[in-house]
Amino acid sequence: MRMAIQGVGITGAFGTGVDALRTALQTGQVPAENKTAENGYQAPVDKLVDFIPKRALRRIDHFSKMTLLSASLAIQDAKLETADRSRMGVVIATGYGTLQTTFKFLDSYLDYGYACSSPTHFSNSVHNAAAAHVSMQMQATAPSLTVTQFEMSVASALLSAQQWLAEGRVDQVLFGAVDESCEVLHYCRNQFFGAGEQGPIQPFAFDKQSAVAGEGATFLLLTADSEAAPYGFIDSVQMGNHTVSPLQLSNDELFIIGADGHRQCSSWYPQAVSDSNAVAYAPLYGSFLAAAGFDLAVAAVSQRDETIYLCPESSGSVGLLPTQKLTSQPLSCLKFDGGGNYGLIRLSR
Amino acid sequence: MFYPEPTAITGLGCISAAGLDLDTALVNMFAGKRNPQPPTKFTTEHQVASLVLELSDELKLPLDEEEEIYSRTCQLALVAAQQALTDAGWDSESLRGKRVGVCLGTTVGCALNCDDFYRTYKDEGDDVPDMGIMSRFLRSNPAAVVAQQLKLDGPVQTVVNACSSGTDAIGIGAGWLRAGACDIVIAGGTDELLRLTYSGFSSLMITAPEPCKPFDVNRKGLNLGEGAGVVILESAELSKAKQKRGYLRGYGSACDAYHLTAPHPEGTGLKRAIFEALAAAQLNATDIAFINAHGTGTPDNDRVESRVMKAVFPGKPFGSTKGFTGHTLGAAGGIEAVFTIACLQRGEIPASIGFSTADPECPAEPVKVNTAISGSNALSESLAFGGNNAVLIFAKGEC
Repeated sequence: MRMAIQGVGITGAFGTGVDALRTALQTGQVPAENKTAENGYQAPVDKLVDFIPKRALRRIDHFSKMTLLSASLAIQDAKLETADRSRMGVVIATGYGTLQTTFKFLDSYLDYGYACSSPTHFSNSVHNAAAAHVSMQMQATAPSLTVTQFEMSVASALLSAQQWLAEGRVDQVLFGAVDESCEVLHYCRNQFFGAGEQGPIQPFAFDKQSAVAGEGATFLLLTADSEAAPYGFIDSVQMGNHTVSPLQLSNDELFIIGADGHRQCSSWYPQAVSDSNAVAYAPLYGSFLAAAGFDLAVAAVSQRDETIYLCPESSGSVGLLPTQKLTSQPLSCLKFDGGGNYGLIRLSR
Repeated sequence: MFYPEPTAITGLGCISAAGLDLDTALVNMFAGKRNPQPPTKFTTEHQVASLVLELSDELKLPLDEEEEIYSRTCQLALVAAQQALTDAGWDSESLRGKRVGVCLGTTVGCALNCDDFYRTYKDEGDDVPDMGIMSRFLRSNPAAVVAQQLKLDGPVQTVVNACSSGTDAIGIGAGWLRAGACDIVIAGGTDELLRLTYSGFSSLMITAPEPCKPFDVNRKGLNLGEGAGVVILESAELSKAKQKRGYLRGYGSACDAYHLTAPHPEGTGLKRAIFEALAAAQLNATDIAFINAHGTGTPDNDRVESRVMKAVFPGKPFGSTKGFTGHTLGAAGGIEAVFTIACLQRGEIPASIGFSTADPECPAEPVKVNTAISGSNALSESLAFGGNNAVLIFAKGEC
């Protein structure tokens, strides 16, 4: 069953909202203020106060703030601000969950002893805390689901969103992809990848480690197949392992690939797609596990704009596709992990 | 929404403090045996130790020599998955060429359990943090590890819905079969005992320094536990010639949208999940023979669950098995699904251990003794952090 994309909310290093994403797609640039001292990317959350009073945000961490901001934007974009949300499901895909709060919880007992473990940090460090905040703030009382499948989180979670809509369990799904960065993550990435973390990200230099940590949150407001679908449709979601059953893809398709400068994951793309019919946008939001959700948001915006945007300048592709009109060519998002597992999301207008 | 036909369950696997396999667990539960104790696998400086239910030291992990490669949570999932596959008549060879999905719930399994790494990282001394700890975390996604070890090709999902994860995973896995996404699903939950969660639950002051007493007026809180519970779900086509262990007839889930750590006082989300599952199964509440309650032994959970039990299932026998297993968090829904199916087949449920004196605030009482049940359908429910509620309805099988 295909899903209609009714709204998009997003915050990432390029800024907040669909317009900021579109500007980044057009210019290939990320505002300097959203780059960190460690050369990473960070997502702004300052616009959250436009939706939720500051007072209500006192104990809410950065991860949940990014989540709430993007979810609110998606609902606004779909014009459902005043709608009854008792049949709105919430599905969130995340690779690591809330890293900063997890480490704050560890700080509480490593610094002050186990008797001083922080209950606030503990309860907010649980992976589904962000989904709970969304449900509470939006009064979305239908099913709520959080999925952690590293690079495959988005495809896996989207399968469940599709199932809920197909079986009529919900009328809408607020589908999100969220991950955050933190100092410890930067340390680990530097230990694992060394100077590769200096960037710039070159997604099409498949044999080069050029990833740079990013973060952000994006939400799509999905409904069952509908005549109205401002951002088009998600036709199918497929998961599998390329080594067990090799993926057979048509040269007629256009792919937004999740290549983000991670050599181990990127090595699978040239086996499945030609870079003459692929684009990648990781340089606009950085490398993080839930970034496949950002690829999906870009696909949605591309469908709305009927335009495939030029890959950002540092993409490292030999034959970059120029910005061009999206015609009848099918558009898909493809993400590989390091073990050859893939998530393939096919869209249509 | 209703399910056109029940989903066949062809295999059961279960590992918990009640026993390292299902048969042993049933013997121990019906004999009223349990062994809560202070944790032995890690130390903390809590003045009063909360009791836990650990797996027996007789446990042999399948990848012993690779313990440093995968987390214990993943290894527990593999043990339960292998038990369930064997029970269903499958092995890794016969699965080849089949579309097999893996859907597992966990809480601890995806948490960054890296105390030792982080302590060194924070320390300004010369010691270098052990990156092997982080590498192991990055290899240890439970559903992915099971799929990888068994060389499977199909959808893979690790559900992190806190304490309802295992229940949700089974409901979601059955949905994959209905959608034709695969032919077989390995579904359930898995979690290990960790200092991190032990400290977290202690900080919330909901753990008990004595054996837990779900629904009892003198209950002091929960005992944490560890383990894994897995069921094998098969398409109608594949399971046609097999005797079934049971059937999944309905699944429902809903969010309270009320509080991060406390259930809605009237159990609004739980009721909605129950009625959704009943509708999917095309059953009435009167068709349910017994209920496997979440029954953690915390004041809030038991009060709300008991109220819902009284309102929706007046007079129906119910009990909590967490006194035998401890609260195994993301594994609980998987383990309790296996117990529910096995008890349906046996026609009997064990005494809700720890319960002796009714709480005036809990209007429904669990069974005090092993209790014969009649009927073909039973319900297992889970409540979770974040206000999640998930419910499964099972029907009796042929073996």
